[in-house]
Amino acid sequence: MAFVEQHIHDEPKTFWSKYIVSYDHKVIGKQFLWFGIFFLLVGGLMALMIRWALAFPGEPFPIIGGLMFPHTGGVIPPDTYAMLFTMHGTIMIFYAITPILIGAFGNFCIPLLIGARDMIFPTLNMLSFWFQMASGIILLVSLCLPLGAAAGGWTSYPTLSTTLGQQGLGQTLWTISLFLLGVSSTMGAVNYITTIITLRAPGMGYFKMPLTVWGLWLTSILNAIFIPVLGAGLLLLTCDRIFGTTFFLAGAAATSGKGDPILFQHVFWIFGHPEVYILILPAWGIVSDLLSFFARKPAFGYKMTALSLSAITILSTLVYGHHMYTTQMSPLLTQSFMTLTMLISIPSAIFFANWLGTLWKGSIRFTSPMLFAMGVVFVFGLGGLTGLYLASASVDLYLHDTYFVVGHFHYTMAASVLLGGFAGIYFWMPKMFGRLMNECLAKWHFWLTIIPLNGIFMGMMIMGYAGMHRRLYNPFIYEFMNKLIPINTFVTWCAIAMGLAQGLFIYNFIKTIFFSKKQPLASNNPWEVGTLEWQIPSPAPHYNYKEIPVVKCGPHEFGNPNLTTGRDFQYQTEELVD
Amino acid sequence: MNFSLVERLQGILAQAESVADTASKTYSLWERMLPPEDISSTGHLITWLFNYTTYVNLFWFALVCIGLFGFAFVYSHKRHKKAYYTHGNEKKHLLITAFIGLAVFLSVDMVITKVSSRDIREVIWNFPEDSDDLIKVQVYAQQWAWNFRYAGRDGEFNTDDDVVLLNDMVIPVGKKVMIQMTSKDVIHSFFLPNVRLKADAIPGRFAKLWFDTNKIGKYEIACAEMCGIHHYLMKAHLTVLSEEDYASWLNEQEEIAIATNDTENPDLRWGWAWGSK
Repeated sequence: MAFVEQHIHDEPKTFWSKYIVSYDHKVIGKQFLWFGIFFLLVGGLMALMIRWALAFPGEPFPIIGGLMFPHTGGVIPPDTYAMLFTMHGTIMIFYAITPILIGAFGNFCIPLLIGARDMIFPTLNMLSFWFQMASGIILLVSLCLPLGAAAGGWTSYPTLSTTLGQQGLGQTLWTISLFLLGVSSTMGAVNYITTIITLRAPGMGYFKMPLTVWGLWLTSILNAIFIPVLGAGLLLLTCDRIFGTTFFLAGAAATSGKGDPILFQHVFWIFGHPEVYILILPAWGIVSDLLSFFARKPAFGYKMTALSLSAITILSTLVYGHHMYTTQMSPLLTQSFMTLTMLISIPSAIFFANWLGTLWKGSIRFTSPMLFAMGVVFVFGLGGLTGLYLASASVDLYLHDTYFVVGHFHYTMAASVLLGGFAGIYFWMPKMFGRLMNECLAKWHFWLTIIPLNGIFMGMMIMGYAGMHRRLYNPFIYEFMNKLIPINTFVTWCAIAMGLAQGLFIYNFIKTIFFSKKQPLASNNPWEVGTLEWQIPSPAPHYNYKEIPVVKCGPHEFGNPNLTTGRDFQYQTEELVD
Repeated sequence: MNFSLVERLQGILAQAESVADTASKTYSLWERMLPPEDISSTGHLITWLFNYTTYVNLFWFALVCIGLFGFAFVYSHKRHKKAYYTHGNEKKHLLITAFIGLAVFLSVDMVITKVSSRDIREVIWNFPEDSDDLIKVQVYAQQWAWNFRYAGRDGEFNTDDDVVLLNDMVIPVGKKVMIQMTSKDVIHSFFLPNVRLKADAIPGRFAKLWFDTNKIGKYEIACAEMCGIHHYLMKAHLTVLSEEDYASWLNEQEEIAIATNDTENPDLRWGWAWGSK
């Protein structure tokens, strides 16, 4: 399979060429990681401000409130509130999860796990990061505009997102920055797909790839197909905003032309639903691997898991209409989308069964990556099952746009992805930066994250079922929601607790990277795992593999009773012991 | 407004106490978690399906938890030193997996999809035939208010004697209500929590919604779709009257409309002929 010749290049010497315009997939992965963690903090702070406004309406935001909103004495004003939830969604999805799960792990893991020296297109890889950086900067600049940043929700439905609903440059910059981000993601996706197809080490068939690579591969395929669809929608929206076209304008307030705002919803969700799977597939892959690694047992039904993930990938492209039940599509379309959506439950059930099958009769080591991986199983179980309510059109007519939806999608694409991301960071830390993170702190981090996390999102679903809808600056002007004040307060305290717990991670992360120089480097294989990257030194050298490895067995060979090496696992370069 | 930290904390505590006060008086936690009272003849369909989904979910999630926590306990490295070597691709494993897939298909897809499909097709989007008994209302959403239009004495919409109300909808109990709806500016969503229904009001399109009520009282109508910074203020009132009260209310409103409608006022001119779109 290695029909592409891979040369060993000299290691760059200057700071500029080593850390800034690096062609090295590992450095680019780290750039994405830092970028993502920075935006994760920004988005997290925004989440806390949103929660504060909901639990304590009219109370000044503590500590930084007075500084940020001097004209209201620190109280978050309604226009800022709209901006906050818009930017929270945008930042978390496109600038935190995407760079961490896809940018960082995609870049770092793909070549290492398939036994390659680098990505197939290193320049494209570098450009992908810098496009993302430009996009991030534009988005941050939009926060400083006099009329503020975009405030039409992360979905930015027209006509609210046209000049009819949003004056000022904020929404335009939002559109442009997302377009640039789409360019970056497409570059990354093309690179990942090609790398996986062409640069797999000799002997590594598709069904000998770690499931992490499977997840990233399927994600990239979805990205390459559907990000351009979003790009098209965003271009049309930009035209509507800047050049006065009327693709999405309609109604009495639109003085000219007759477009259709629903067109944008179709375009947006054709991209938007696969996007959910784009975000979760890498986490599913990582979890599938980690469960096997730390249960010291081969991944149960590996092929079935890989095929289930592929089936979900295909189904995910056919179900987007379930976001639009309340727009009253034809009943036939509504029923078709509902049926297709429900079908996702079957492959999901299969890989869930396989995850649990992996744990069955294992010898489970509760390391921090394993705890986070098991956390994903728990929260995704909840998130996936609550999707059933929203998939059924009649129940959705009540639950649509309530906090039930908010709770559900945070479980699936925030909680699961976040925990999966942490699992990955704790796991590959030694290969990335040379040292293991502090296990004790990591375990505290896990428990202090997952308990309030469930308080937050379970609380949200309860409020949603009680009728509280989304994006309200002050929900309590509705009488029927007044009884929900205590639940809102509870959720906010949980959010504050979870926010504070991330301090443990930041401390642990920074300390391991910058302030542990005196401690020895981690061994090649601290987790005792057989995939390719654990046979090379920690941190991985510039060229990854001096000799391109030859793969002879699958990635999850644990606990083979015939092993005589004294280890309980096999490296992928070893012949499978009968 | 320069609060010191102490004052602010006192404020928060005071608020928390007052909340706790009213809370303990009126609601248990369980009551807080319940949706608003169902006043329609269709809401129970949604409640039934919600409950069914909950039972199915509890069953499957219990299985996941038993697997996750049970295996984590029984097969931890401490208790179970040596893992059992299997790739999970033997015939019996495949059969078990296939059985789980099939059980999910039967309990989830076959039931929920079918019931929901039926409810949508036969009830919720099965709009009543035009008749004299039908209460017809046109709804016009705008940033940030709901306009309601009744046909008035001549029975024709968009004429000079229409009854036009702002943020106030009045209907008789027990009658079917048919709504035609559009939006002036951005997308709104007409949400009746007590009826368990909502429909988007979309500029350039006409949405339909029907419902009925079985309980006299005052309820709330919300906008559920983000529609700008004052989205949260876009609230209207739904008043359900007895048939007699409704008749006299309508009569009174029609007289007021005939007496005071300013035919030059463009704000009264947003309607359309019933069913024309």
